Amino acid sequence: MPENMFTEEQRDALQEIANLAMGQAATRLARLLDTFIELSVPRVRIVRAEDAARTLREMTGIDETVTAVRQGFRSDIKGEALVICRSSGVGQLCDLVNDPYVHSAYDSVSQAELMFDVSNVLTGACVSCILNQLDRTPIFSPPGLLGEQISLEDVFHADLLAWKVALLLEVNFALEDQTFRAHLVMLMAEDSIRRMNDALSALLSSL
Amino acid sequence: MNDAMEQSLSDLVIERVGFGIFVLDRDMKVLMWNRFMQDHSGQPAEAVVGRSIFERFPELPRVWMSRKVESVFQLGSFAFSSWEQRPYLFQFDHDRPITGGVDFMQQDCTFMPLTRGREVIAVCVTISDVTHVSVMQREREEAVEKLQEYANRDGLTGIANRRFFEARLRDEFLRWQRYGGEMSVLLFDLDHFKDINDRFGHAVGDTVLRVMAQRVADAVRVQDTFGRFGGEEFALLLPCTPLADAMLVAEKIRMTIGDTPVEAEGMRVPVTASVGGAAARPGVPSYEVLINEADAALYSAKRQGRNRSVALA
Repeated sequence: MPENMFTEEQRDALQEIANLAMGQAATRLARLLDTFIELSVPRVRIVRAEDAARTLREMTGIDETVTAVRQGFRSDIKGEALVICRSSGVGQLCDLVNDPYVHSAYDSVSQAELMFDVSNVLTGACVSCILNQLDRTPIFSPPGLLGEQISLEDVFHADLLAWKVALLLEVNFALEDQTFRAHLVMLMAEDSIRRMNDALSALLSSL
Repeated sequence: MNDAMEQSLSDLVIERVGFGIFVLDRDMKVLMWNRFMQDHSGQPAEAVVGRSIFERFPELPRVWMSRKVESVFQLGSFAFSSWEQRPYLFQFDHDRPITGGVDFMQQDCTFMPLTRGREVIAVCVTISDVTHVSVMQREREEAVEKLQEYANRDGLTGIANRRFFEARLRDEFLRWQRYGGEMSVLLFDLDHFKDINDRFGHAVGDTVLRVMAQRVADAVRVQDTFGRFGGEEFALLLPCTPLADAMLVAEKIRMTIGDTPVEAEGMRVPVTASVGGAAARPGVPSYEVLINEADAALYSAKRQGRNRSVALA
């Protein structure tokens, strides 16, 4: 299993960091959006390229087509973040950042723009918080649409991937009192796993 | 290299670089304004720095922009705006005023946090001119549209091809299944077309097909779909038309084709056609069955001596 790329101690540290970071992200999001967004406990896995789609299917429980927005982030640890939800749930996803004030006559906002905004806000908050815990300040690329009606298999072109193993971190969101959930998935390839490894060792030895 | 030198180099770069850079504080007050912004807005740094950005640019989307900047302050991460959703932030000219076909410079914008320690002290906004991308995108969309059009047309006659005809027929059949009403299909075939090819040559045969397609296309209603089904076989889809009316159309088409010989390469080629018609009715399970019925009617028209129209008995 590729799971042994981290020591048990490192895994625990990473889980702890992710938990802390999501708490922080939730606080920041609540302040920004003026509504409480419930974040799940983050799940961390090491996945092989060929298993990535299946793992994602298991973790999200989604069999239908999805809408997926991607964004790159980089520091010495770099990767991609995906915001994924059922295609039928895009409207509810947008509700996370939508408020009637935005729909004033002067400032009209399209659903596509809202979708990118909400993805960017979720990605920005979560990825920044995790990397800040590791003393990194990430730089982000603009959000781009992977597809509006795609299957999870289409997210990864398994035959074209330049990586064999990736670190996958999943967290899901819900608005208070709602069953709709969107998923944020952070993916980092081998090179960044090694750097993550170093960063975790440094953190552990500084304790 | 000493600090002063580095400082002045980055200042020079910021002044010369080919995209807009400016910095806002939390009250939307401008702290920095580079040369690109000055050149395109006509507002020098002195006129803008120290004031609210909305004072000099009241046309900016105030609520939207304040929220973007606030999100960067609160989350400490980036925010973006793409020309595809929001073509521009500032009403700047672009360098394709003649050939561009767009009103203002198309802009991709990035809102970046400037941090000291953990604290966001200001937001830097960059503006990229992506007018050329938007122009290319539009040209691509036009090309795709044209290809789509070609993909639906028969190369020789210019009328709908079989693929497009069947797609229209399928849609119409689904609508009929759901909402009821009437719909009919005619299939027709030029009589002894093989003999025409053999006697006069393929060039004449092609002309005959083109002229016939044109004559019939001019004779049918706009809401009908007329397509080449293959070889010398054509099909006509008649939405909202009962079989009796469809057979009147069949006769009209047969006359249109047979009344006047085709002139091709100095020769007069007499042409006739046989027509078969069928209509959707309860019990017809699919559009394929409907086509088969029209085909059976066409076969029977052929067997009865050609140059006639026959409805499915």
